[in-house]
This record gives sequence, C-alpha cells and structure tokens, in this order.
Amino acid sequence: MAKQRRIWAAIFLALPMFIYVSIVILPLISSFYYSFTDWNGFNADFNLIGFKNYEKMFSDRLFANAIGNTIIWTIAAVLLPTIGGLALALTLHGRGFFSRIYKSLFYLPISLSLVVIGQVWIWIYQPDWGLINITLEGIGRGDLTQAWLARPQYALYAVILAWTWQQTALAMVIFLAGLTSVPPELLEAAEIDGASYWQVTRRVTIPLLAPATVVVIALGVINSLKSFDVLYIMTRGGPFHSSDNLAMFMYNESFQKYNMGYGSAIAIVLFLITLVVIVVYFRLSTNLEHLYD
Amino acid sequence: MLTKRTFVVLLIGILALMGVMAAAAQEEVGIVHYYSSTLGQETMAQLFGTFAEANPGYVVVDNSAGHEDFKTQILVTIAGNNPPDIFSYWAGARTQFVVDADRLLPLTDFWTENNLDDIIPAGVKSAAIYNGEVYNIPMNVHVVGFFYNPKVLADAGFDTPPATWDEFMTMGQALIDNGVAPIALGSMNRWPAQYWFDYMVSYTAGADYRQQLMAGEAAYTDEEVQVAMEMWKSLVDGGFFVENANAYDWTDAADQVANGTAAMTLMGTWITGYWDGNGLVAGEDYDFFPFPVMNPDLPVITHGSIDGWAVPAGSSNPDGAKALLLHMLSPEAQATWAQGQGALAAVNNVDASIYSPVMKKASDYLGQVAFLSGYDLSTTPPMAEGGLNMFAQFMNDPSGYMDYLTQTEEVAVEVFGK
Repeated sequence: MAKQRRIWAAIFLALPMFIYVSIVILPLISSFYYSFTDWNGFNADFNLIGFKNYEKMFSDRLFANAIGNTIIWTIAAVLLPTIGGLALALTLHGRGFFSRIYKSLFYLPISLSLVVIGQVWIWIYQPDWGLINITLEGIGRGDLTQAWLARPQYALYAVILAWTWQQTALAMVIFLAGLTSVPPELLEAAEIDGASYWQVTRRVTIPLLAPATVVVIALGVINSLKSFDVLYIMTRGGPFHSSDNLAMFMYNESFQKYNMGYGSAIAIVLFLITLVVIVVYFRLSTNLEHLYD
Repeated sequence: MLTKRTFVVLLIGILALMGVMAAAAQEEVGIVHYYSSTLGQETMAQLFGTFAEANPGYVVVDNSAGHEDFKTQILVTIAGNNPPDIFSYWAGARTQFVVDADRLLPLTDFWTENNLDDIIPAGVKSAAIYNGEVYNIPMNVHVVGFFYNPKVLADAGFDTPPATWDEFMTMGQALIDNGVAPIALGSMNRWPAQYWFDYMVSYTAGADYRQQLMAGEAAYTDEEVQVAMEMWKSLVDGGFFVENANAYDWTDAADQVANGTAAMTLMGTWITGYWDGNGLVAGEDYDFFPFPVMNPDLPVITHGSIDGWAVPAGSSNPDGAKALLLHMLSPEAQATWAQGQGALAAVNNVDASIYSPVMKKASDYLGQVAFLSGYDLSTTPPMAEGGLNMFAQFMNDPSGYMDYLTQTEEVAVEVFGK
C-alpha cells in the first residue's frame, strides 16, 4: 500500500519536478557556469577565466555601491513595512463599516503591478507639477522642492518609499490575519487585570504576533533583494548608478554593458545572500510554530 | 437533395477553406522595430499596408518596442536563436557589435543587384558597410542641431540665429537677461546630453580627434577633452541650461521650447515629427540652425544618426525581408516615412518638396558637411554606457568633471584593453 502511494506520488510529482528543474535549477547551474567565463551574452565563443569575475567585485566601486544600496534597502524593508503595517493593522482591526472600507483602501496597492506603482510615483515626484513639490509650495516651503528622482542623493530613497507603499499594504494584511489568531481570552484576561490598551498591545498582542512579524520581515527582505521592476521603471539604477541595487547592477552589467559573465557572478552572489535569508527565515518560523501551544 | 441549410453550410465551408488556403499561400515576414510611438507605429503600418498591396504573397507580422527596451530585447532574441526576419537598427557601433558576432546576413549582393549606389549617397552608404560588407540598409538620416522657438528669440531682439560661437554666447546672455533659459535639455535617459559632448569635442579638438577618442585611441583624460568639458561647464555655470536636466526626457525639453520656457534644444530632426504631431507649424513655431562653429580652422561637420534595417543570419524568410527592404527604399515609401516621422530620406530620388522649410534647412546642411554619428553609435556599447553615465553626472554637477573623466577613462582602459 505504502509502495503504491509512493509510486503515485512520484507520478504526480514528475511534471512539477520537470518544470522546476528546467526553469529554475538548470538556469541556476548555467548561471553558475557562466560566472566563470568572459561571455558577452551574445557571441558564440567565450573563455573560461576562473575566479576573475569574483575577484573583480572586490575592486569594483560600482559593485560596492550596489551592495551599499542593497543594504540600505534591506534595512528599510525590515523597518518601514513592519512598523507601518503593524500600525495600520492595529488601527483597522475590527469589523466596523469604516474599518472595512479603510482596509480595502490600504489593501489597494497590492493589486497594482509595481510597474504601475513606479509610474504613479514618477508623477508624484515630478519636479514641476508632481504632488510632493506642489504640496511643498502650497505650504510655503518651496525651498524644499527637489527633482527627487534626478538627484543622486535622493533617488534611492524615493524609489524605496514607492516600494514601501505597496509592501506596507502586504504587511498590514499579514498582521490582520495574525491578529485573528490571537486568543481573545488572553486579551480579556489582561483587561480584567487592569492593563491599559497600550500595555495589552505591547505585552500581549505584539509578542503573540511574532509569527506574523517573522513572515513580514522575511518577505520584506526577500522582496527587497529581488526588487527590480519598480527600480527599472523609476530610475533604471540612475542617475549614474546612485540607485543601483544588486539586481539592477546585475542587469546593467549583463544587458547594457554585455558583461554576461560578470553579471552571472553578481547573480550568484545575490542568490547566496537570498539563500541565507531564507534559511534564517525557515529556522525562525519552525521555532515559532509552538507559540500558541 | 441540396437543402438551403446544407447549401449555406457548404458555402461557409468553402469560404473558410479559401481563407485558409490564402493564408497558407502568404509567407510571413516577421519584423521588430523601435518605432513604438503612436506616430511611428501609424506610419510603419501605412508602409506595411502598401507593401501588402504590392506583394500579396507576403504578410508582415509587426512587433515594436521602445528604444531602451528594444536595445536589450533584440539581442536576447537573436542570441536565443529566435530572431525576427528583419529588424530596425542604428547604423554604427551597435550594428558593428552584431556583425562581429556573425549574427547578421550580408546584404552586399542585394545592394549590387538593386544598384543602390545610384540612389543612396556615398556619405550614407558608409554607414551601411561593416568589415567590408553591407549589413545595414539605411532607412532615414537624422541631423542633430539647434531647434529653437523663433518668437522667443525675436522677443530678445534676434531675428536671425547665430552663426558663430561668439554670436551664440551673446544671444544666450541676452535671453538670460530677458528671463528665458537659452537651452532646454532632457537627459533623464542620458543620451540627449551626448550631443553636447560630441559637438564640444568635435568643434574644439576636431572631428579626427573625436574619432580617435571613440575608437579608444585617445584618452578621456586628455587635455583636448578637458578643454571641451570646461567649455560645456562654462555654459552650465553661466545659467544657459534649464535646471534639473536629468529630471526631464527629450520630449519635456521639446515642450519647454515649444511653450517658451526655453529658447532652444540641441536635438535630432526627429523632434520635428514630435512637434508636427502636436500641431506646431514648421518655420513659424519652430526653426533650425546648425551648431555654431567654435574654431574656424576645424572642419564643419554634423552629428546625427542613421536608422536602418538589418537581416539576422537566422532569418527564416530572408527573401521576404529583402522584398520588404526594396519596398522601404522606394521613393513613395521614403517620402511617406520622411514626412510621417520627421526624418530625412536615405535615398536621393525623393522630391525635396516633401520637406517642411525646417527639414529643408537640415537637408541642405547635411548636403554640405561631413556626417558623424552621435556618441552612443560611435563607440562600443559597453564604452557608451560609461560615457553616457558621465554626461548625466556632469549635468547633475559639472564641477567634478575631472573625476568623471578619470572614471570614464578607467572604463575605456577595460573596454579597449589599453
């Protein structure tokens, strides 16, 4: 009986396995191979050059720049959606009419593609008639107006903010789901003991939201590491690399400069970083499984 | 007995069969091009329409992508052995890159068989030849120069555009005094800034020196380049440019000239297509003058670009591609395209009366001077990436140009293996 089940499992798994191997595993292996070559991504011939592409990273100021930006983005991804999403979820938790309307409104960004979000925020940042500069002028602070996406000191943060807008909505939904699994008896018990709303939130609700928090942070970090679309639409890593993250830098090296070998090496580094995050995430979430027992 | 119903069914069946047979008899010509604006797509569709009428055996499968996406997309499809039958491509370094990878079909025989020497001027032909063979069949030529708003110039007291650099500087200062920014530049996508570098180098150090720089035989840190950058910087410092150039694209800059916020922009003749599409009148609302001569001892040239067509080595229908090419070179198609797109025809048998007074000026100028491609079509794509970044960096803060030149030279050393 058990043997028969295993055969059936193998049969049902064959197709997904085939697809997974051919569109995930094989390209990954070939990227790994190309990272040891000087292939330009186009010519038929190329040479094996050992670890040269990896060595180049250590002296490449643009790589250091992309790593720095990726770290900034990751820190923002840990803090902003988590705090914003939690605040929204705590505020909107409940079944009231307005709460439902606001939940839908704040949920809206998730249903938009990042390409659309990028375009909307390009308009918000537009220097002459964009929402931000118009507002600044309206409140008499015209001196603060900027060409937000065109200045290297602001471009990265401007893109991160646009990305956070969507990511916060996702965090809110996860926290709202987490809130429904917080046992109401615990909250009631705390209230009967005379705890204030703030005390209940800090000492009971937030600790019990730990599994949701881990999911929010892990998703935020993983999404930030692979974020590309919104950056491509808004700045393409520019002006002059100031908003490059690793994914964008990899794209520019591979497809703009035709250094496919170097681009592959960057992809491998990005893959390894993401792998570490995912391993940490699985460890944490397994440890938290028994929280409600 | 043939009932009415059976008859109708049969008739539909026969018609459907005829439709299938007609479709089967038609060979597909897959085309990918970068004329993705509404104007470009409409004019292209018009040309495909007249091609289909004249060549019922072929049906064109039309695909287009915006310039920036196209650059990546076309190489990926060719490298992935899934090429179109024919594609639009910029003559110059980009075509050379694909030729060097043996991915294009030589069209030298096509050129000779159809006596293209008779209709394509020698200057334009030079952009068709790579490693001794024809690989890029020209479709149109664009001249880069100043496109200006005559009303803004008149308000500042100038009825004629400047011919020399001194006159240009005097006029610029008068415009500033009149409260108008002389020059609009939209360098968000970097390339519009390259023409400033092109002309500054070509007109202070000479076109020959510039060609050496493009080929990696001169250094970005050379004194010649520093002089050109210093000259460009003096314009930025002098308030000649609209602020925040990197926040705008070239159409924004065109709008700034059209609405009088700025007086002029250094751009290619394609800007006339954009303005005409917006209802501006050539010669009244906008006009053209060539980049003023800075050093009378150096040769007068024009920078610009030539768009052409290339046929991939893996094209599944090269005959169809060639039939389409011939159609594109016909005087009628060339006239339709030149007028619809705001471009100069690549062939010499188009009646000059199709040009607006502004395009006529650009065409006459092209006829008198040597033609040099713009920066990103003159140097290899990886080098162009480095240079284009430098121009955007320069427009953000020109004071650091020496550092930018050093960084760009580092790229040049790597790219050219100096």
